[in-house]
Amino acid sequence: MKILLQATLAFGLAATPAAAAELTVITAGDQNMVDYINEYLGPLFEKQNPGDSVRTVGTGPGDAGSQKIVERFEAQKQAGSKVWDTDIAVAHEKFIGPMVEAGFLESYRDRLATGKLVTRANADMALGSNVSGYVMPMFNSQTAIAYNPALVPNPPKSYAELADWAKAHPKQFGYNGIKGGASGVSFVMGWIYAFGEGDAKKLMNGPFEEAETGKWNKAFTGLKEFTRNATLTPGNAGTLDLLSRGEIAMGPVWVDMFYSWQANGQLPPEFKLVLPAPGMPGQPMHYVIPANAPNKELAEKFVALATSPKVQAEGIVKRFNWYPGIDADHVKAELDEATWNKLFVDITPEDLAQYGKPFPIAPYNKAILEAYERQVTN
Amino acid sequence: MPKNLLGLFLVLPALAVVVLLFVVPLGASVVGAFVTGDGYGLGNFTKAFELYTSDVIFTVVIVSLSTVLIGLFSVAIGGYLTLGENPRAVAILRWLYRWPLFIPFIVVGQVLRTFLAKNGLMNNVLVAGGIITPLQAISFLDWRGIVIAFVWKQTPFVTLLVAGAMASVDRGTIEAARNLGASRLRILIEILVPQVAATLTVGLVLSFVTMMSVLSVPLMINAQSPTMLTADIAFRINAYGDYGVANALGLISLGVTACVAWFYLRHSMKEKT
Repeated sequence: MKILLQATLAFGLAATPAAAAELTVITAGDQNMVDYINEYLGPLFEKQNPGDSVRTVGTGPGDAGSQKIVERFEAQKQAGSKVWDTDIAVAHEKFIGPMVEAGFLESYRDRLATGKLVTRANADMALGSNVSGYVMPMFNSQTAIAYNPALVPNPPKSYAELADWAKAHPKQFGYNGIKGGASGVSFVMGWIYAFGEGDAKKLMNGPFEEAETGKWNKAFTGLKEFTRNATLTPGNAGTLDLLSRGEIAMGPVWVDMFYSWQANGQLPPEFKLVLPAPGMPGQPMHYVIPANAPNKELAEKFVALATSPKVQAEGIVKRFNWYPGIDADHVKAELDEATWNKLFVDITPEDLAQYGKPFPIAPYNKAILEAYERQVTN
Repeated sequence: MPKNLLGLFLVLPALAVVVLLFVVPLGASVVGAFVTGDGYGLGNFTKAFELYTSDVIFTVVIVSLSTVLIGLFSVAIGGYLTLGENPRAVAILRWLYRWPLFIPFIVVGQVLRTFLAKNGLMNNVLVAGGIITPLQAISFLDWRGIVIAFVWKQTPFVTLLVAGAMASVDRGTIEAARNLGASRLRILIEILVPQVAATLTVGLVLSFVTMMSVLSVPLMINAQSPTMLTADIAFRINAYGDYGVANALGLISLGVTACVAWFYLRHSMKEKT
């Protein structure tokens, strides 16, 4: 019996191929993030690296998903683990600064051939923290107001017009508050940019001053009344869902989700987007590699593939309708004109340059969210 | 080995499980509620009330209202099972009422979300039947949705207890009342309910505590403001990693359940003496 047991064990060990590595990718965000890696990037990488496999774990939408990634790293650091359970993480920019400061991450961008293709400023400064070298942007995304042209023939061009429209059409504007994903958060931040009495530029670039947080009272009083007249939806997807069912006529959405839903036939093709003045925030998602990742070299190879112009063109722009993470010119060269222009049907590059804003820096971000809970929902 | 030592030895695993998995985490979260950035203090509670007072009130009102409705429905169903005169109707009801017991809360939330939405199944049926026009259709996915979910899910549980207790009531008292000409409703209210009041209270207290702790239903049906405390606790932890305020909110809901648990304890003490 004993011999049999030992033999089984020995056979079992021998049968495990030693060379094959399993790359663990954890990603925050909606299901589309997990789908992207499972359906597109993972298989592509496995084809180029026979024997290796990619395992994807989704940690959930919104800030909550990235918070779970931070906590996971923190726990492993505190436990003193030499080898962590994650090779690559995809996180929101708000959480990158704290992770860099806590020493969770590896600085790897300079070792990547594609590192030189990164040109946007938000890959060096993430909401006020210097993260240069630690991140490779997966994509850039933008929020905007989606609307049903049958019910809204003349969409509002600014937050002020939007507020008037919502007052005249009770319950026809829907957003997901701040607890159900970042499109609602983004709408609230845009509201403060528009109606806060402080300087919106300071919120985006810093420095943090306590006094600034006292300048939002009037804006929040207005938002409270606005929210009473609005429909609260259960999430990023919830807003799109209610739009498609005709329960609301307008609402803030992620541009990429909007286009993907339209491409899948979940939203009528005539629905449109508008980016109201003075602008709404967008953000990149970043690839990071933990300092104690088990397969660092392979992880770098994975990120290099993910940020190569071909993958950025085929996967990020064509399949998932995100704005590219690396310099747009390199990506544009890989795509035909029609596909490229599809990204800019409703929101032109000029709109994007003028009204596409970053989120406020982390301390303001937190202060605005708490003020929202204190003054709007309580 | 002395006999009482052996007894202690046998109890030890169970005791260890209770201490490690229940008492220690509970203690840690009670202590955690008072830990702030600079030492111990009431900062977390100040913040909790600043941000979530309306949610505390909302939670207590919703759960209390649901408890009252559950009580009414379970007495009505239990009463019909005991006093009903049409054996076929009683058999069908007996077979039907238990079904929600076997359905998890998350599924209840999901089912009701598609049923109660503005363009959901319920309104579609009403519109198709010509009872309301599409413009009159409203979404029930707010506090009403939560109450409907709770009542639908918890009524069978309380009914199960109440119907059992009613069945074991001495039939003689019912027959006597009937002989003297009492209506069935009067028998239910004046004879049956007083005799099963103790069981009914226990069932309702247990339901109250269960409903206080449900996260899936408010998340699925109405995660927006005002919402239940459980959704706020989840948000505090998931979005901010703020365990202090989450613990404070937990302690507040513990205080609410402690009030009803006091009824329960008083009742079980009375039963023992």
